[in-house]
Amino acid sequence: MAEIGHGGKEIVERIMEPSQAAAKIKGLTQIPIRSQLANEVIGITYGFFSPLEGFMGKADVDNVCKNMRLAGGAVWSIPIVFDLSDKEVADYGVKPGVSVLLTFGGNPMALFEVEEVYDYDKKFMCQSVYGTDEAKHPGCARTYQYKDKFVGGKITLVNRPKINPPYDPYFIPPLEMRKRFKEKGWERVVAHQTRNVPHTGHEWLMKGAWFQAYAELPIEKPLVGVLVNAIIGDKRKGDYIDEAIILTQDELRKSGYFGDHNHLTSLTFWDMRYAGPKEAVFHAALRTNLGLTHHMYGRDHAGVGTYYGAYDAHHLLATIQKELSIVPVYSMNWLYCPHCGEITSEGLCDHKKEWQKFSGTLIRSIVQDGVKPPRLIFRPEVFDLVMESAEKYGFGSPFVTDEYLEKRIPVFEIPPM
Amino acid sequence: MAEEKFPINIWINEDRFAALQKAKLAGLCEEMLAGLKVLRVYANAVERDKILKVFPTAKFDSATTKSIELLPRDVKDKIFDKIVEKESVDIMADFLKAF
Repeated sequence: MAEIGHGGKEIVERIMEPSQAAAKIKGLTQIPIRSQLANEVIGITYGFFSPLEGFMGKADVDNVCKNMRLAGGAVWSIPIVFDLSDKEVADYGVKPGVSVLLTFGGNPMALFEVEEVYDYDKKFMCQSVYGTDEAKHPGCARTYQYKDKFVGGKITLVNRPKINPPYDPYFIPPLEMRKRFKEKGWERVVAHQTRNVPHTGHEWLMKGAWFQAYAELPIEKPLVGVLVNAIIGDKRKGDYIDEAIILTQDELRKSGYFGDHNHLTSLTFWDMRYAGPKEAVFHAALRTNLGLTHHMYGRDHAGVGTYYGAYDAHHLLATIQKELSIVPVYSMNWLYCPHCGEITSEGLCDHKKEWQKFSGTLIRSIVQDGVKPPRLIFRPEVFDLVMESAEKYGFGSPFVTDEYLEKRIPVFEIPPM
Repeated sequence: MAEEKFPINIWINEDRFAALQKAKLAGLCEEMLAGLKVLRVYANAVERDKILKVFPTAKFDSATTKSIELLPRDVKDKIFDKIVEKESVDIMADFLKAF
C-alpha cells in the first residue's frame, strides 16, 4: 500500500541501487558539499521532505516566499536551495540538462540532475520567511551566506550514509518509521520536537500531548505514542552536545518514565533556521512524512530572541489547518508548584504566587554549577547520563566547546564506493 | 517605582554549602525548585548589561525566569567567594569593579 506523505503525494525514496550507482556516476563532475547540504540531501532522498524531489527551482522558491506554497500548491514554508558561486557554476560547468555528482567528505553521495540555475533576492527571501531582514537573525545570517547562484534539480542518493554510534539506532527514515508505528499498533502518534536534554517540564509537555492525542480512543490497549524527533545539525557553543540530547531523550523510556508501548526516540538531520512560525509549518510537513498524526507545539516554537510572539506559530498553523494531514496539539508551560508538590500546568494550578518556573537555560545553569537538581525537576538517570556523555563524548563537558566542534565524532559519514 | 532587579542564581552544591556553614552564612540560602538551595545575587539593569557584555556565554532568560544564567563556573565561584567575604549577597557592584 502506498505511503502518502505531506501534500498528498506518495513517499518514494530516491535512492539508487549500489549495482546501478557506480555506472551512473562514472565520469561526472564532482562537487563537494558542506554539511547543511548533505543533511538536506538526506532529507530529500529518504522522503523526510516529500513532496520535494530535489533542490528547489525558482518557481518553487518564489511561491514559498510569496504564498508559503510550492509551485504545485502544497504548503511549504522554507526554501530548500542549493547555492554555488558564479565561478563555481562556470568551473563545474553547471547548466540545465547536466548531471553532476555531489560528494561529502571526499566520497560520492548523490546524483544532481540540474534543471535550472537562477538568482534570487536574498533580502526578500529573508523578509518573507523570517519576517525580518536583519543579519543578526540566524536564519537571515544563513541566507546572506548563500553564494550568488541557486541550482534547482532532482537529487538521487547513490551512496547511503553510515550513521555513527551512538546515533545509529535513532535514524529512522519515513518509510521505516511508518512500519514501526504499525508494528507498535499506534493509531495516533504525537511529535515532540527537541534540541534539548529533557527536564521534567519537557517530560510533561510530552505526557500532556499524549493525553490530548489519546482523546476518545479506547484505553484497553496502547494506541497512542510519543515520537521524540531530535533535530541534529549545526551546533552553537554552549548547547548540549548531540550525544547527550539523543541518549537522554531515550533514557526517559529506558528508565520507565515512558515505555516501549508509548515512546520512541528518533532524529532528523536539519540545520535549524529559527524561523518560528514558518519553521513550525515546516515541522508539520516533516512529521507528516514520518507518519505522525499529531504535533505538539509550545510557546515560541522554533523562535529566537524577540522576533516572534509566543503564539504566532499557533496562529499561522490555524490558517492552513485544512491543508495539513497532521493535527497541532498546543501545550501550555509546565512548572513546579511547591503547594501542589508536583509539576503542573499553568493552565491548571491556581497557586500563582508560589509557582517556580524553570527553563532549559536555568537547568543548564544548574548542571554547569555541578549541582544535581531534585528528581522532580530533572530525572537522576538523565543527569547521570548527561555527565557520562560529557566524559565519553564531550571532552569533559556536557556542553558544546571549541574542542567538541573540532574533534567530535561525526554524526554520519559517506563511505567510499 | 522600585528599580527592577535581575537575579544570578548561585546553585549550592555540597562544597558551597559546607563553606557557607563554616562562615555561618547558610541562612542566606533560599530554596527553589523542589528544595534546591540557591544564593540569589541581584543585578540592576546596568549591571545586567555589563555582565552579559563581559561574559558572552551568559544569557538573560527573558522568557521564563528573568534571571541571568550560564555564567562560567569559575565566575560563579568568584561571586560565591565575594559573598562569603562580605557576608552578604549585596555584592554585585563591588564584584563588577574588577571588570
